[in-house]
Formats: sequence, C-alpha cells, structure tokens
Amino acid sequence: MKTSPRIQKEVIERCKAGDEKAFDEIVLRSQKKVFNIAYRMLGNLEEAKDLAQEVFISVFESVKDLKEETKFDAWLTQITLNHCRNRWKYLKRRQYFNSDSLDDPIETEDGRLPRAVVDPSDNPEILYEKKSIQQFIQRGLLKLKEDQRELLVLRDLQGFSYEEMAELLSLPEGTIKSRLHRARMDFKEVLERSAQ
Amino acid sequence: MRRGGGSMDCEKVRDRFSSLWEKELAPSEEKIVREHLSSCPGCQKEFERFGKTMGWLCSVGDVEVPEGFLPGLYKKIEERKTSPLAEKSRGGWFIFPLSFKLPAQAIAMVGIVFLVLYLTKMMPMEVSRQRDAEQTSSSLSEEKKSEQLFAHKKTENEKGSFEIPAEATRRKDIEHLQTPALGKKEIEDTPIAQTKGEAKNEEAPPPKSEIMASQQIESKEAIGARIQTPGPDKFEKELAAKEKPALASRPTQEITLRIADREKAIFQLQGLVKHFRGEMVTEEENGFIVSLPTASFPEFKKELEEISASTKTDKMMAKKRIAGSPGATAGFKREEATERSKEAVKVASDQESRTVVLILLTQE
Repeated sequence: MKTSPRIQKEVIERCKAGDEKAFDEIVLRSQKKVFNIAYRMLGNLEEAKDLAQEVFISVFESVKDLKEETKFDAWLTQITLNHCRNRWKYLKRRQYFNSDSLDDPIETEDGRLPRAVVDPSDNPEILYEKKSIQQFIQRGLLKLKEDQRELLVLRDLQGFSYEEMAELLSLPEGTIKSRLHRARMDFKEVLERSAQ
Repeated sequence: MRRGGGSMDCEKVRDRFSSLWEKELAPSEEKIVREHLSSCPGCQKEFERFGKTMGWLCSVGDVEVPEGFLPGLYKKIEERKTSPLAEKSRGGWFIFPLSFKLPAQAIAMVGIVFLVLYLTKMMPMEVSRQRDAEQTSSSLSEEKKSEQLFAHKKTENEKGSFEIPAEATRRKDIEHLQTPALGKKEIEDTPIAQTKGEAKNEEAPPPKSEIMASQQIESKEAIGARIQTPGPDKFEKELAAKEKPALASRPTQEITLRIADREKAIFQLQGLVKHFRGEMVTEEENGFIVSLPTASFPEFKKELEEISASTKTDKMMAKKRIAGSPGATAGFKREEATERSKEAVKVASDQESRTVVLILLTQE
C-alpha cells in the first residue's frame, strides 16, 4: 500500500481501550487512503469527505469488536469499500450521476474546471500534459462498472497487492488478475472513446 | 483473429498485456509475447495504448484530504452521541448488512399486512356490530311476536283444558328479559337503541280498539301478578315488583257444583263473583275459573254451596211459582242484603292476595 503507513498494533489496542489520541492517530494515518478510495469511487470531493468521516465513525464505534489488530488495515479498507458501495447505490438511485452532463464543470482537487479543458476532441497526450488528466481519468473510472472501478482503484491507484485484494474481495488471485485485466482493457476503451 | 509472428494468436497475447506490463510473465512466455508484438503492428499498437492508459492510471496522484477533516469527524461523532437515533448518513440504510435489512424488511411487511388487516377488519366489525345490534333488535321483535303468538295459542289451548294463560307477552317485558343477553346498558347506550326509542316515541298511537284490548290484557296480567309469586329469576322479581307482570296461574281451589238449572246457576255465580270483587278468568261450558280475594274465598265457597242448594230449591220454587208463590224472590233479596253488608269487610281484605278457583258444574 502506498498511501498510509501501517498502524501499529499497540495504537489499535489503545484505541480499543478508548484512548482518543490513539483514535486520532489512526485517523491521521489512514484518512488519506480512505478519502482517496472514496473520491475515486464516487468522483466527488464533498461526498468523499463525508463518506470518509462516516468510515471513521464506524471505526470509532466498532473498533472494540476487532479481534485481530494485525488485520486492521484490511478491516478499515473493507469498511471503506462497503460504505462506497452503499453510497454509490444511494447516489445512483437519486440519479446523482445522470446530472453529470458534458457541460457540467468537473471537480478536481484544484477546484472546479470547465469542461472545455477536458474536451474529448483533444488528444489524450495533450490532456495529460494539461494536468486535467486526473479528472479525465476520474470520468473514465466513473463510466466503468462498480466492481471494475474497485479493482482499478485498489490495484492501480492505491497499490494493493493481489493477495490483499483477494482477501478484501474474497476472490482467488487468479480471478482478481483476470478481472483486473478485463477492467483495464475496458477502461482503455472508455478513455479512447472519450478522446475521439 | 489472425495469427502473429509467434506461436501465440493476437487474442492470447492481448490477454497477457496486464501481466506483461506488470512484468509478471515467466521469461519464456514473455519472450513469446514480445516476439508476437514485434511482428504484429496491431497488437503492438494496442499494447502501446494499453501502456499509456496504465501510465495515466498510475500517474494519478492522491488527492489531499480537505482541511478540517478531523474536527468535522469529531463534530459528527458528538452529534451521533446526542442524537443516536438520527440518520447516520444519507445512505444510512444501505450501511446495514443484508442479514439485518432482510429481517427488518420482512418484519415491516408483516406489520403492514397486519395493520391493513386490522384496519380493514375494524371497519366491517363496527358495521357488523351495528348490524348485529339491528338483528338483535329485529330478532327481539320477532321473538316478541313469536312469544305473543305462542302465548295466544297457549291461551287458546289452556282454555280447552281450563288453564290460565301461562305468560302474558308485553313488549316491554320481553325487552327487559332480553337485555341481559346483550348487556342492558350496552343496548341502552347503542345509537340503535336510542333511535329505536325515538322511533318508538315517534310511532303513531295504536287504534282505540287495540288500546282497549291491551288495557284488558294488562288488567288481567295485573291480577295474575297479584295471584302468583314471581319466579326465581331476578328479572321476573324486578318486573313483579315494578309492574306486576302478567303472569296467570293455575287454580288453587276446585269446587264442584251440583246444579239443576245451569243458566241460573251461572247467573248466580257471576253475581257472586262480582259481589266478592272477583273476576271470571275463563268461562267454559261446564267449568269456570274465578279469581277472588283470598280473604273472601271461604264466604264465597259458602255462598256457592248455597247456590248449589238454591238451584235445587229454586227448581222446587219454580214449581211453586208456577203455583203463584212470591217467597223465592223475597228470599233472594234478603240474601242480597246480607251479602252487601259483608261487602265492606271484604273490600278491605281484598288488597293483598287472590285465590284462583276452578268451579265445575255438574248437572244433576
């Protein structure tokens, strides 16, 4: 994992004992990973922030029940993915993503950019150079199926190992690999279609 | 799919793009794939695009967490503590696992079904309760009618067997007797009972002849009430106490008169009954049921025996009268005078109880 350093077992034990500072430490160490997964899965900063906070509230409420402190990272990622799936369903049901027309501004970490910046008629290489590549990628991700997006986010954006992914998704590594390859190929197609 | 330069077709090569890009292929396999790519421009171009896409993906850096994330988190935690029942998030319901959601939904569905059933049953129950009340009231009137008919028939039958009608059937009495089945108060309280009462008040008065008849019946019933002690039933007791229910009774005394002249004997008997403030309950060819004040019964009996004797003497007198003697009428007048003198005494003692006497006439 490239985003957050491993949380020590003793910190988790202190957190379980009700130590607020330990909880703070857990949040500070994990917030980036949780927030980024949420953002890549939902494509909206505010939603991602709210969701990440919900994830840590869940951690705060149920860390007592965590039996294996060594599996805290996997447990935290699992909670994050569950929250993302639920929030995605919620937003989809309310047609949140349907309102995202080509004229809508695209939200990035640098602010809201007009869609003209990411004109699909532009060459992808130019887009890459224009630094708007991130939301171009983000838009491509949102066009993928949810499970495909999950695989790309975990492996290619967050750097999870196949072993971790297999544990998180309860799938064999081979299945993970083949599905990930399919997801990557589809993503390529999505980006190419968008760039045409 | 056309075959490339190597021993692997394009599709198989493209399936290995991810592994090739991640350098996870075995050296021998990598060699075969690279050989294919070098000899197949299509696959080569495709792999370049794939590599570019992967480059973009991996170049995407992390987004910085917005400021105030931790304070905002603690604020939310505090809010949850103060209002634990508040919705955890907009997608709160989705957070729950299916193992919780499904039973909860099932329970909710069952609850809704029961609620609907309850509501749908409630309304017809109210209606049916009203209907029941209506039916009860109608059945009451039907019962009343049938009882009246029964009583009427019984009276007729009993006339034949010299029995006093078993039970008078007044509407009021039946209603009183029927009330416990539903609960007296309930019926009184029901709007139907009220409307019934109103309807009763609004009813046109019965014809005069009916009134007369009912008055006669009532007077007979009143006599019956005085004669017979009320039954063990509480209501009957109450009725007896309140309204002197119309309960006729069987004769308690029996007198057989041996008569010579039947018509005269009947005439005298009627006179006696009237004299002793009695009443003829039934009049048959050879039998009469008479209701009398108990106190005056012994004297009545004496007088009756005299009638029995007098009819004999009258027969003789009649023979004499044919011969032209007026003594018989004088004797009768004297008899009347003595009887009138006794009348005042009888009237006083007449108030309390009455005796029913069966008088049988036998022709000599």
